[in-house]
Amino acid sequence: MSGAVKEQFENYAVEGFFDEAFSREDSKCRPMYAEAVKYFSGLSDERMKSSLRSLERTFLKQGVTFTVYSDGQGTERIFPFDPFPRIIPADEWSMIDRGLRQRIKALNLFLKDIYSDRRILKEKIMPEELVKTSKHNRSELAGVKLPHDTYIHICGTDLIRDNDGRYCVLEDNGRCPSGVSYMLENRLAMKRTFPDLYRQLNVERVADYPRELLRMLRSVSPRQQDTPVCVLLTPGQYNSAYFEHTFLAQQMGIEIVEGRDLIVENERVYMHTTRGLVQVDVIYRRIDDDFLDPRFFRRDSTLGVPDLVKAYRAGNVTLVNAIGTGVADDKATYAYVPDMIRFYLSEEPILPNIETFLGGRPDELTYMIENMANLVVKAVDEAGGYGMLIGPAATSEEVADFRDKVKANPRGYIAQPVISLSRHPTFCDGDLEGRHIDLRPFVLTGEDTVVVPGGLTRVALRKGSLVVNSSQGGGSKDTWVLREAATPTEA
Amino acid sequence: MLSRVAENLYWMSRSIERADNLARLVMAHQNELLDATSALRGEFAWHPLLEVTSMGDENSSEDVVTYMVSSKDNPDSIINCIQLARENARAVRDQISEEMWLELNAVWLDLKQIPEADPDRHSKICEMAVRSALQFRGIENSSLPRTDVWAFVQLGGYLERADKTSRIVDLPHFLPTHEVAAAWNTMLRACSATAEHRHRYGGEVDAASASTLLLFSTTFPRSVRFCVRMIDELLHQISGTSAGEYLNEAERATGALLARLNFSGVEEIGAMGLHEYVDSIQIDLNRIGYEIMERYFLLRKDAPPASAEDYVNSRMQAQASMQQQQQQQQQ
Repeated sequence: MSGAVKEQFENYAVEGFFDEAFSREDSKCRPMYAEAVKYFSGLSDERMKSSLRSLERTFLKQGVTFTVYSDGQGTERIFPFDPFPRIIPADEWSMIDRGLRQRIKALNLFLKDIYSDRRILKEKIMPEELVKTSKHNRSELAGVKLPHDTYIHICGTDLIRDNDGRYCVLEDNGRCPSGVSYMLENRLAMKRTFPDLYRQLNVERVADYPRELLRMLRSVSPRQQDTPVCVLLTPGQYNSAYFEHTFLAQQMGIEIVEGRDLIVENERVYMHTTRGLVQVDVIYRRIDDDFLDPRFFRRDSTLGVPDLVKAYRAGNVTLVNAIGTGVADDKATYAYVPDMIRFYLSEEPILPNIETFLGGRPDELTYMIENMANLVVKAVDEAGGYGMLIGPAATSEEVADFRDKVKANPRGYIAQPVISLSRHPTFCDGDLEGRHIDLRPFVLTGEDTVVVPGGLTRVALRKGSLVVNSSQGGGSKDTWVLREAATPTEA
Repeated sequence: MLSRVAENLYWMSRSIERADNLARLVMAHQNELLDATSALRGEFAWHPLLEVTSMGDENSSEDVVTYMVSSKDNPDSIINCIQLARENARAVRDQISEEMWLELNAVWLDLKQIPEADPDRHSKICEMAVRSALQFRGIENSSLPRTDVWAFVQLGGYLERADKTSRIVDLPHFLPTHEVAAAWNTMLRACSATAEHRHRYGGEVDAASASTLLLFSTTFPRSVRFCVRMIDELLHQISGTSAGEYLNEAERATGALLARLNFSGVEEIGAMGLHEYVDSIQIDLNRIGYEIMERYFLLRKDAPPASAEDYVNSRMQAQASMQQQQQQQQQ
């Protein structure tokens, strides 16, 4: 039996893609992967199988599940996990780290600007029309002063590597990005299952995330008292990310609340406890803007808190993330982020965008319409892999259908060339095969900015698929950022 | 503690206790029925159980045992109680011990594994419900810190148990006079009190000794008096009031009921009869439940339930519209 995994490595084919672990030219293992490849090839078939089983048990037991509603039963499933870690060397990470900091700084400056002076619009760096028509624009809340001028406190930027291995930003998720609990649980499971491999490599810690998150939440409290009261506002136990909500609240030791637990009086937010009302300073909310306050946004919202916006406006409570960050998340706004970086920071972007055509620009619209079958077309205000057309993979009817949609609402769509996404060796049904991946690192910003060295690497488990979303057959891997090789001062 | 969390803990515990007591009653009655005369065995053999548990839907086409044990339509069926307990536990997973959640999750998954066609399905469900409740109480006892979390879990459990024991004592009332003796055994067995009764009274079971044990024992953990004394202690623990005093209506109602049980039980039964006495105990218990809700759970913006009886049957369940909105939020 022994040696089967070794064979899988010998048969592994790069197939002309940019592969994270093996070079395209000569199929040689990249240096940072040398130890991992040696380790896994040395495992007997039995050991590998038992490791996979133990990983699965770990996740089930911990209840690391998400809920699928498509079958009408709300089944709880495990997020599929691949044990082959994605490894990022220190120098690459340092570039990513700088790029993410630069980007979040520009995005926060942008949000502050459009909700106050609107310089970027006045100076015609960005068309006013684009901001005005953004679905998530909340200009009615302009002028609200936020602690440290932070709008996006928690950002889950999606990075991909193109066919040349260049890291690019695919999306800035600045509303309520999820997935961080998987990053933490993946690491725990890997350390438990493969401690010997983990020890060999010098991997950066991710376990401090909950502590950093709590520190950030406290740093944006409007009441400067010793221990501000921070809570996590969840939509409730039927939400697919409910596990993550309880996990984070528990790790931080803060209350997890639902809208009905909160009440606003005198423009202050209180939670109902068995000992009376307790004032709340910071709300880490995991529900969308639209549902926050039935008196201000959607009247049918049962998840929100009446008059929460009043308290927010009065500066008596901080919402994390702030209201109205979705305008920076708009896929048409995305195209202007490099210009924002130049405008606000007078720097060149460290992490490039993907070439993007806007339906709102007449010549680019024409290009989009004519070349739709070769492009990826996305609705500007959707997330999670919905509202999207992958031209080359679509039928001519689907393309025609999308063309009509774009013509009817050009501002509502953007297009990008098909980027193949880098591939990573992945254990699939007893074989090792290349699968496309992306990377979602997490950036926290309050008083200062913290970039967690690591992130959630998502894998498109279906062969050939480019869609990594968990709702559409995606899984995940642990992401190992290597520490700078220590200068050997002593043996 | 959040009021909602306290209420979830309370209903989690009540639902477990409800499933447990119903399962015990079904099994004990089943056992007695096997020895019963043919007069009792007929079509109406199970109806007394519907009467004592105040369940029952005239229009239900299901047989009585299915209705009590595994019906999806009966909110109080054993299966629905366990599902409700699990949902409440899931909503407060960060508050209870990991082992408590695992136990409830496991029994819920196990119940779903029993095939509909299994001829022993009902007895398997009953056995699982009883065993799981025992395990749950054991886990809780050895893993929960004695904070308010503990207090609200215990409160729900003892209140439900007091109510169910008082109902079980009422079983003979719903049987034909010549069959009443059989009910005494059922009562004791349903409360796991057979051995205790034997120790205390020797071999003979009669109405007076069986009901005295189940209503007034100060040492037997399923007796009504024992449970109410626990409720009294727990309420004082939560509010920090000294024993004998009261700070809120829940404590006052509990103290009053405890005094009745402590000092005037036998006289009251003599004056009004057992059935009426037990009825009045249940009304007092409902009052206590209502006052606990009003003091600790009720949110300022919500209207209180119309009556104490309404609250006993209320449920911590999200409405459909809420579930749908909860599912949507994700990036």
